[in-house]
Amino acid sequence: MTLPPHIADALPALPIALPLLTAALLAALRSHLSRALMDGLAMLAAACSVADCALLMMSSHEHTIVYWFGNWGPRGSTVLGITFVIDPVSAGLTLLCSVLTLLALFFSWNHTDSGGNHLQPLMLVFLAGMSGFSLTGDLFNMFVWFELMSTAAFALTGLKTGEPAPLQGAFNFAVTNTVGAFMVLTGIAFLYAVTGALNIAQIGLALTHRHDPLVLFACALITCGFFTKAAVVPFHFWLADAHAVSPTPVCVLFSGVMVELGLYAVQRLYAVIFIPAVDENAAVLRHILIVFGVLTAMLGALMCYAEHHVKRLLAFSTISHAGLMLVALSIQGPLATAGFLTYLLSHAFVKAALFFVSGILLHLYRTASEPVLFGKARNQFIPAALWFLGGLGLAGFPWFATMLGDAMTSNAAEAVDMRWVSYVFLASGLLTAGAVFRVGLHTFLGWGSEPISDSAAKVDEEPDSPENARTRWFQLAAPALCVAAAIGLTLMPHFREEMLSAANRMWVQSGYLSAVYRNTTIPLPTPHSGDLEVKSAATHGAIASLLALLLALTSVFRGRLARWLRAGAFLEGPLYFLRAVQTGQIGDYVTWMTIGVAVMGAAFVFLLR
Amino acid sequence: MPPHMELLPYIVAGWLFFCGLYGIVTSRHLVHCVICLAVLQTSTYVLLLGIGYRLGGSAPVFADISPGKVVVDPVVQALMLTDVVVEAVVVALMLALVVKAYEKSGCIDPKDLSTLRG
Repeated sequence: MTLPPHIADALPALPIALPLLTAALLAALRSHLSRALMDGLAMLAAACSVADCALLMMSSHEHTIVYWFGNWGPRGSTVLGITFVIDPVSAGLTLLCSVLTLLALFFSWNHTDSGGNHLQPLMLVFLAGMSGFSLTGDLFNMFVWFELMSTAAFALTGLKTGEPAPLQGAFNFAVTNTVGAFMVLTGIAFLYAVTGALNIAQIGLALTHRHDPLVLFACALITCGFFTKAAVVPFHFWLADAHAVSPTPVCVLFSGVMVELGLYAVQRLYAVIFIPAVDENAAVLRHILIVFGVLTAMLGALMCYAEHHVKRLLAFSTISHAGLMLVALSIQGPLATAGFLTYLLSHAFVKAALFFVSGILLHLYRTASEPVLFGKARNQFIPAALWFLGGLGLAGFPWFATMLGDAMTSNAAEAVDMRWVSYVFLASGLLTAGAVFRVGLHTFLGWGSEPISDSAAKVDEEPDSPENARTRWFQLAAPALCVAAAIGLTLMPHFREEMLSAANRMWVQSGYLSAVYRNTTIPLPTPHSGDLEVKSAATHGAIASLLALLLALTSVFRGRLARWLRAGAFLEGPLYFLRAVQTGQIGDYVTWMTIGVAVMGAAFVFLLR
Repeated sequence: MPPHMELLPYIVAGWLFFCGLYGIVTSRHLVHCVICLAVLQTSTYVLLLGIGYRLGGSAPVFADISPGKVVVDPVVQALMLTDVVVEAVVVALMLALVVKAYEKSGCIDPKDLSTLRG
C-alpha cells in the first residue's frame, strides 16, 4: 500500500505526538471539563493512534520505514541523528498498545474512578511512552522512553491514594524499575565507551564478532534492566504488588503490553547486537536465558495457583507467561521469534479479558478476594463465559492464538534438540488455567467447599468505581472483544505467514542494518509455515485445559475427596516457603535483584567469552 | 596525571552505585530510600562523564578554539543532562508517594508499609 508522500512523512511521529499533545491538553483542562468529555477526548486520541498505527503497519509491510528526526541521516557508517525504525513488528506493537489503551479507556468510560481526572492524561502519556519505546532505533532514546513509560506507570499504580497498599505497590514498582533503568543506562554507557555509538544499527555493525568482557558485562546489565520490566525471576517481585492494587484499566495495559515490552527490547537488541556479537557462543547464551525462562514460568505458575486474591493471581500468571515468552525468545531464530511474537499478541488479549472480568467482579461485589466472592456471581452468565474462555486461552486450547505461539516455539525447540520445552508450556498452562478455573468454579458457580484464604486475600481493595449493582454494556464489550481477538487471530488468512515474515525481518541483522543505513529493505527468503507441526501443540493445549479443570475440581471439592486425591488443595496450601520470599519489602526485592545481576553477569562474562 | 588516575571516575561510579544499593536494601525510612536511589543515580552521571573525558581536552564549544583541538565528548554530557531531567521527575514522583503514604497511614518505615505479602 502506498500513501501520498506528505502524509506518509508525518505518520511515524504521530503515535507519539498525538497522545502526548492530547495528554497535555487534558491535564491543563482537567478541572474544567466534565468526566465524560475527558474520556471522550482521550478515547478519540487513542482511536486516532490506532488508525495511525494500522496505517503504519500496512505501509511498513513492503518496506521498513526509517524516520530520521530533523533529517539527520547517517554519514558513512556514523549515525548522527535519532531514528524510528518501523517494521511490521514495532508498528504492530504500537498498534497493540493503542488498541488496549482504547479498550481500557472504553471500559472505564465515565465510571472507573479517575482520581480527579488524572487517569486519562496519564494513560495517554503511558501510551506515548510505550509507542516510542517500541519504535525507536536508538539505544539512549530507548532508555528515555523506558523511563517515560515507567514514570507514567508509577503514577497510575498509585492513583488510588486512599489506602497504603497502592502506595506500597507503586513505591516498590518505582524503586525496582528505576534501579533496573540505571542498569540499562550503565550498560548503554559501556557500549558507548566501546563503540562510540548509540544507534542500535551502528552498535550492531561495530560489535559483530566482538565479545570482550566489557561488551558481555554491558549485555548482562542491559538484559537485567529489561528483565526487571519483564518480571523475570529474580527481578519479578514488584509485579504482583503493583498489579494487585492498580485500577483495572491500568492492569490491562501492564499485563497486556508493558511487561512484554521489556522482552521485546531484549529480543530486538539480541537480534541486532548481541547474538551477532557472541557468534559461536549463541548456543551457550540460549542455555543461560532458558534457565531464567523456565524458572520464571514455573515459579509464576506455582505462585499463581497458590494465590486467592483474584488480581494478584492473574499477576502471577503474567509472570509465568512472561517466562514462557522468554523461553521462546531464548531459543533464537526466525521461527522461535515468530512464536514469541504470536504468544505475546495472543496473551495480551487473553490476559486483558481476564483483568476486565476481574474489574467487573470488583465493581459488582466490591472485593477481589476469592473467599469473599465465593458463590456470589451465580447469575453473571456473560462474565462467567468470558472468564472460562480466558482460562482456556491461558492453557493454549486449540483455536486460541496462544496455541499457535506454543506450536511455533515447540517446533523451533525441536530443531535445537529441546523437545522438553513444550512440556514447560503444558505445565504453565495447566497451573495458570487451573487457578483461573478454580476462581471461576468458586465465584460463578459456587461449587464445592469454601475457598482457602490467606493474608494477601484479606487485603481490602478500595473498589475503583461507584457503588452500583449492575454492569454496563461497555464493561462487557471490552473483554468480549479481547476474547474474540484472541480466537479471531488464528482464523485470519495468512496469519502464520505474516507472523513468520515479520519475525524474520526482526531477526535477520543484515536486514535491519540495510534498512537503517541504506533505507532499503532487502528481500528475505520467506520461511514457509507449511511444515509447522500444530497438531501436538493443539493436543497439549487440550490436555492442559482438561487437566486444569480436573485440578481446579480437586481444589473445589477438596472436602469430599480422599486425602491422596487433593492435588489442588496441596498446591494451594503448603507452598509457604515460596510465598515467604514475597515479603513486600523493597530492601528484599533489591537484594534479589542484585543477586540476579551477579549471577547473570558472571554467567555472561565467564561462559560466553 | 599519575598512572591509573584515569580509572578513578570508574571506581567512584562503582562506589556510588554500591552505596546507593546498600542504602536501599537496608533503608528504614522512605525518604532515605528515595535519596539512596538518587545517590545510585549519580553513579551513572560520573560514569558517563568519565567515559567522555579526554586528557587535556577543553570544553566542546568551538566558538573560540580551532576545530582540530581535543575536546571532551559532548554527547555523553547531553546524555547526562537528559538523565538528570528524567531522574528529577522520578524522585519528585516518589517523594510525592511517600508524602501520601505518610498522610494516609502515618508510616515512614518501608516495613510498616508492607500490607501486601505472600
